[in-house]
Amino acid sequence: MWQYIIRRLVWSLVVVLLVTLLAFIIFYVLPSTDPTIAFAGKQPTPEIRAEVAKNLGLNHSKPVQYLIFVKHLFLGDQYGWPGFGKSFNSREPIKGEMFSRLLVTLQLAIGALIIWLTLGISIGVLSALKRRSAMDRGAMGFALLGISTPVFFLGILGLYLFWKVLGINPGTGYVGFRDNPWDWFQHMWLPWVVLALLSAAVYARIVRGTMLDVMGEDYVRTARAKGVSERNVVIRHMLRPTIAPVLTLAGIDFALLIGGAVVTESVFNLPGIGAYVLDAVGQNDLPVAMGVTVIAAVFVTIMNLIVDIAYGFVDPRVRYT
Amino acid sequence: MKKRRWVIATALAAGAGLVVAGCGGGSGGSSSTGGSGGATPQKGGTLRLETQDFGYTDAFDPTGEYLGLGWGLLNQLMTRTLVGYAHRPNEPGNVLIPDLAESVPAPSADGLTYAFKIKQGVKFGPPLNREITSKDIAFAIERIATPSLAAQYPNYFQNIAGFKAFSDGKAKTITGIQTPDDKTITFKLTKKQGNFVYAMATPAASPMPREVAGCFTKAGDYGRYVISSGPYTFAGSDKLDASSCKTLKPISGFNPTKNQTWVRNPAYDPATDDPKARGAYVDKITYDINTNAKDIFDKIEAGTVDGSPDTPPSDVIQKYATSSSLKNDLKIYSGDRTWYMYMNLTTPPFDDIHVRKAVSYATNKADLQKAWGGPVSGSIATHIAPQTVYHDRFPKDYDPYPYDLTKAADEMKQSKYDTNQDGVCDASACKNIFFVTRNLPQWSAMTPITQANLAKIGIAVTPRELPTSNAYTTIQTTANKVPIAANAGWSKDFADAATFFVLQDGRNILATGNSNYGLIGLTASQATKFKVPYPAGGVPSLDADIDTCSALTDPERIDCFINVDKKSMEQVVSWLPYLFANSVETASPALTNGYVFDQNSGEQAFVNEWVDQSKQK
Repeated sequence: MWQYIIRRLVWSLVVVLLVTLLAFIIFYVLPSTDPTIAFAGKQPTPEIRAEVAKNLGLNHSKPVQYLIFVKHLFLGDQYGWPGFGKSFNSREPIKGEMFSRLLVTLQLAIGALIIWLTLGISIGVLSALKRRSAMDRGAMGFALLGISTPVFFLGILGLYLFWKVLGINPGTGYVGFRDNPWDWFQHMWLPWVVLALLSAAVYARIVRGTMLDVMGEDYVRTARAKGVSERNVVIRHMLRPTIAPVLTLAGIDFALLIGGAVVTESVFNLPGIGAYVLDAVGQNDLPVAMGVTVIAAVFVTIMNLIVDIAYGFVDPRVRYT
Repeated sequence: MKKRRWVIATALAAGAGLVVAGCGGGSGGSSSTGGSGGATPQKGGTLRLETQDFGYTDAFDPTGEYLGLGWGLLNQLMTRTLVGYAHRPNEPGNVLIPDLAESVPAPSADGLTYAFKIKQGVKFGPPLNREITSKDIAFAIERIATPSLAAQYPNYFQNIAGFKAFSDGKAKTITGIQTPDDKTITFKLTKKQGNFVYAMATPAASPMPREVAGCFTKAGDYGRYVISSGPYTFAGSDKLDASSCKTLKPISGFNPTKNQTWVRNPAYDPATDDPKARGAYVDKITYDINTNAKDIFDKIEAGTVDGSPDTPPSDVIQKYATSSSLKNDLKIYSGDRTWYMYMNLTTPPFDDIHVRKAVSYATNKADLQKAWGGPVSGSIATHIAPQTVYHDRFPKDYDPYPYDLTKAADEMKQSKYDTNQDGVCDASACKNIFFVTRNLPQWSAMTPITQANLAKIGIAVTPRELPTSNAYTTIQTTANKVPIAANAGWSKDFADAATFFVLQDGRNILATGNSNYGLIGLTASQATKFKVPYPAGGVPSLDADIDTCSALTDPERIDCFINVDKKSMEQVVSWLPYLFANSVETASPALTNGYVFDQNSGEQAFVNEWVDQSKQK
């Protein structure tokens, strides 16, 4: 098992490096516009642009810029480790800002994950058990609605209903948990629900489908024939094989939310990493775009590894060498 | 000036459409100073503002900020200058008044020396709490001359004797700046510069303490440490440990990605200031980032936020303009910005003045104004710089190119590209002309209008709609030889026409990052250098006229530039201005009576606004 983990970690490193190279090419090499023009003011004379280039580290050749980026990433820079440099826009070190925003995105993602797993699995199981009933049809209708409705629409609708009309939500913005836990929860519950609904709908359908497959298995019939209570048949014999693919998916979906919750963060004005990178790309803030890409890539590869290892515990048939 | 903000602004204003057009609104101001109804300003409370993004160009470092909002916030709240503005709408807001200096000086008899006397009792705020001296202003100019700080307007100061030597590292001080005592500062210029006092009103020329600002030698780094000389300071300034460069930590009241908070500056003495210029009514100003544009304006309407420098979306403008209860909360003022098309003087068929004049006559500007949302978005432009830049001295009935297809045809008949002289261009140079524009709503709405207008005189343009930054980069690259484009706009640095004609000065043409898109004043050697054709008849130039006017002071200077404007419109005919844009904002019920516009910056006069706390939610 340890050999497997170490091998996977090494490959993860290779994947992250490849992602940084690809991102560097996309952000720094391919664009036809010179980024120094964007930061050189109203009249970007060659002299001002040269100073801007020096200030922003753009005065080296592209390969050298990339190597400097990788070096700082692994060895750190004047702002610490990992070294992401400073933002072109704010002139502030990226590391501190990125990790504080990552914390906000993690809060959003974890809360949404709990809701969508709870909702998705419950609805999927009940739907499978009560197949073709009104409950099943209603649940799948909910799933269709959830999959079809864009997050930004749900978010705006939620704000309109709960903040503007009913006045039971404080509206957009973020309050730190340590500043005021109740305020924090009030600001977060609506984004959690909005973000969770789409995934809950998808997971409900997946769980329902998997449950229906499992329900037809011999060992389930055997368990019932042996007199095991229906509750135990569901929980001990049917749920476990159903959960395995759901876990895999949940891990990957969670990792993708780091950087992928940008719409929810923008609608609810949450200072997360998605909104950070969206702003950065729009303003040509290339180091921020690179930094967030690296973080997202690390998250996805690590989560993939965790999910694969967890799969081995959930499904005893899986062995790692 | 406010390039990024005006992109968002005008994109959203376009959809207001004919309904709003019918409601008028106009330009030139719809609210009087101090708010509507002559309400008495109330002291106290918090002015709560939100924005989608700060849009600072140099992370709020006064040396490098060049957009209106940064200037407005700095000049009004934090960085007093030797001379300044009343932070009011219309012409009174564009007139220079004394600020740190006892008076606005006239130049010496030879026009080369300006002497300022600094008032007693003007101080830096916390943590320094010390008297401002002439050396602090000299240091600010040294920062402008320091290449690594990438100041945006060194051109306004480079006539100070010794400026270039200091900038090149050949001198330790700028010899043309003399500070014989703590309260006297004299500037000696190498040549006459009629707008020099205007330059001294920019935030870059505000006094900066060497013991703090001197710790930062890279562009933008000082922004989170700005020491105030104005009525407000960043919250947390008193906690800044300025004992050495190493102990400096960013002031908590400014997080570049989240918020800014200002509180009263305890070291500010209102007796040293003009209360009409800086009323400083509120106790606190909060300015937060909100990534949800719709939410900002919902909150303003609900009264949980007081205002925003962002332009409202078109549906919000329409709602306010058509609602009797909300109409007074819609604030419209002249934004001192010109939107224009340009024609490249070196590229056929626009290398022929008759074609350019024909295009000018054939363009229906009223239709273009409608595409932008009607009068609420601005007034039809008939000359280069808006009226307020000329301090209301430009003849109001001036319109050299009223929409007239007969005159357009008559001009075209005189062109070498109309071979059969029927008033329609038939040369191949008039077909398939590359036309750059933006992929935002009002530009997309303008494109078919422009195509139809030009088709009437036989000019067929092939539009290429691009994102804003790409559109600018395309036309800024001289070798691209873009013949005609509609994406450009420009606003004043201060109320001096020279800040517009910098775009029409042949000496400012660059290979990349060029802003003289029409290549006005291009010389034969420049044409070779930038790899563009040089027409047989040469390229008209305004350089000599610009130089003549630049040496004058107001009012002769204003009248001189008015003549340059007319010459540009009538004899150069590269620019086709079509809109003098408005600033459009909404105010909450708590702010609506206390809303004030600052004509100089083109933003709210935050320092003169007050809130009705009973109406805040």
